[in-house]
Amino acid sequence: MKKIYPKLPLIFTVIIFGFLLYFLTQDKNPSNPPSALLNKQMPKFESNDLIDENYQISGEKFYGKKIIINFFASWCSPCKVEHPLLIEIANNHSDVLMIGVNHKDKKDDAMNFLESGNPYDQIALDKDGKIAMEFGVYGLPETFIINEKGIIVFAYVGPITNKIYEKKIKRLLSN
Amino acid sequence: MLYTGQILILIAILNNFLNVFLFFFLKKNSNFIKQIFITSSRLNALLILLAFLFLIFLYVSSDFRNLNVFFNSHSDKPLIYKISGVWGNHEGSLLLWILIMSVYNFVFSLNKSLDENLKNMTIFFQTIMTTSFILFMLLTSNPFIINFSNPNEGLGLNPVLQDPALAIHPPLLYIGYVGFSLVLSLAVSGMLTNKINTAWIKTTKQYSIFCWAMLTLGITVGSYWAYYELGWGGWWFWDPVENVSLMPWLTGLALIHSLQIINNNSYIKNWVIFLSILCFSLSLLGTFIVRSGVLMSVHAFASDSHRGMFILIIFFLITGFSFLVFLIKPDNTQRNPQSLVFNKYSTLIINNIVMTVACFTILLGTIYPIILESINNQRITVGAPYFNSTVIPIVLPGLLLMAIAPALSWKKNRINDFKYYLYIFFALLIICIVIYFLSNYNPWGIIGIAVGLWVLFPSIIQLIKIIVKKDIAKNKIPGLTSHIGMGILILGVTISSVWQKETINNLKIGEEILLENYSIKLKNVKEEVKNNYIRMMGNFKIFENNVEIGEIYSEKRYYPVSQTVTTEAGIMHKFDKDIYIVIGENISDNEWLIKIYFNPFVSFIWLGALITVLGGIISLRKI
Repeated sequence: MKKIYPKLPLIFTVIIFGFLLYFLTQDKNPSNPPSALLNKQMPKFESNDLIDENYQISGEKFYGKKIIINFFASWCSPCKVEHPLLIEIANNHSDVLMIGVNHKDKKDDAMNFLESGNPYDQIALDKDGKIAMEFGVYGLPETFIINEKGIIVFAYVGPITNKIYEKKIKRLLSN
Repeated sequence: MLYTGQILILIAILNNFLNVFLFFFLKKNSNFIKQIFITSSRLNALLILLAFLFLIFLYVSSDFRNLNVFFNSHSDKPLIYKISGVWGNHEGSLLLWILIMSVYNFVFSLNKSLDENLKNMTIFFQTIMTTSFILFMLLTSNPFIINFSNPNEGLGLNPVLQDPALAIHPPLLYIGYVGFSLVLSLAVSGMLTNKINTAWIKTTKQYSIFCWAMLTLGITVGSYWAYYELGWGGWWFWDPVENVSLMPWLTGLALIHSLQIINNNSYIKNWVIFLSILCFSLSLLGTFIVRSGVLMSVHAFASDSHRGMFILIIFFLITGFSFLVFLIKPDNTQRNPQSLVFNKYSTLIINNIVMTVACFTILLGTIYPIILESINNQRITVGAPYFNSTVIPIVLPGLLLMAIAPALSWKKNRINDFKYYLYIFFALLIICIVIYFLSNYNPWGIIGIAVGLWVLFPSIIQLIKIIVKKDIAKNKIPGLTSHIGMGILILGVTISSVWQKETINNLKIGEEILLENYSIKLKNVKEEVKNNYIRMMGNFKIFENNVEIGEIYSEKRYYPVSQTVTTEAGIMHKFDKDIYIVIGENISDNEWLIKIYFNPFVSFIWLGALITVLGGIISLRKI
């Protein structure tokens, strides 16, 4: 009994280390809570196109196609960071539709933002943030992948990185 | 030229390898080797200092060819924030961490009172730890990486960090946090050399009190910053990062108290060693939590699982090794168990238990989400309600003892002037009960005030007695001062959190609003372009009983470079309350959303904390 006390600190250290190590290797990202919409039907939305304002974008039109929905805004700096990668993804997967949702932004600013390159096939306007609300957007940028049946198969908060593209997105887009 | 920093760091690493290598040849009694050993440990501090100054130089000269400067600075920034930007990011703050670690080693190498073997071994461990952090920095978070694109402008510092309090908050915190590394080195070397004697106690006391005082100051500055910058009217949010700074603070508190009673009791010796190791281990664990991004926090540093892995391994090696030594080399020179009577020993032991339990409660709450998610993949957050309802009742007995402990005698089962304490205690008790039954006040508020006064008055009376009588017990002055500070702090915490008043109103320009006997008038709202931000500033006139007593300026700032908005709450500090105004959204042309808080006695919190720190500082002179 006497001998157990000096051992306790070491035992606790090992236990805490074990948990933290396990947690780290799980590659979990606390800023990226699992979306409640994952594996559920994509919410319906309708909006005008940013570039051609007469063109009506509607979520239902995309059924049967694989799409990426990316929420962005010109005022969001992480969006700038992920922008080049989005362009690369758009080039690599020309068969996938990439829909941008321009969130609470001004048209001129958004157009300036896209001057360096436009990865999106269509851009929905979300001036009042309603679409973002429907999708349960947590913070900008946020990206969803939706399969042919209109089911959300992937959701990611924050700028997409090469690692995430290679590990998850690439597979989802190719098959 | 650009590679200077890198080269300095590399030389420092080589130098440290030499230092570690030389340690094994010290026994040969060659004075020459000893000289080189000591010199190389000092040289490390010099090299790191130069590297740090070089990084500051890059920031000040806005040299965006350095990637770290490019990411975290902007040429528009005022000079002070260019400098503080150095430690406003992961890489730079790591260099600061290493610098502080090295400077502690340098200062320690000047020590003359310790046994030579003990001293050398401490330097040896300190160098190993410093070097492992240098390697960590070099391999995962190098601040000296060159940016080959040579841009004209940087990306800017997070605007929330552009603040004088935040410029000094991390260095102070690190001086506390990191300093515990030396205490750990001392503890491990003390065990291995079997030299836990009076000189060891004295040195450990000096360092741990200094670190603890700096940590207190750092936490205080941080919470003051949170108070006026975040605009939530509060000053402590039980954020994981706040918690991880509180844990070493609590164990540090236990450590400096148990160092008072160590003498030759081997139980307490072992306990002190345990705490010495624990303080830095918790600092490391905190660093891991902050920098690996395993928990969400307003402090979200660059999160990267590789970095996390590296720190986790450093944590495990240092803590694991230290506790291993603790396991195989416990001090068992003398068994001298004290009978548990009501004397100073027993109160200090209770204090230790209370602090340690509080610390582990916070630790549990902080890492519980991680443990739970590892086990069943469920995500929860543990927030303020858990901490408030566990930590406060746990520390309560400790606070009650705080008033009596300094007055207790060491051996005898008797308090000097016991009856006075009894009178005060019962008087307070009766007052509390009466107030509780006669009013609908919050019971926690009453308990808090009672405890605050209970700590405050006896401490003041004892202090006055010592000063008036020119008592021999002058060594009690620092402790009493700190206790007075804590008493004031408890009062401030209780009153400001229980009796805070919050109102949200829409105000038009020229309109006024009546709150208690104050009326607050929105005079105007101006938009101004400043150096690196645009501000919207509301100017409020404050009237007390219809007499104007001053103006408050409350701001929202927009930083175009990073496109973020920050709040600068407008605060009028009065003796008994802070009037705290946050200007919100523009509702219509000249109508604004205004949040007004009355925070009673909130300045007591910072005053109390500063007095506590003062107590720590003056005790350094007496050791």
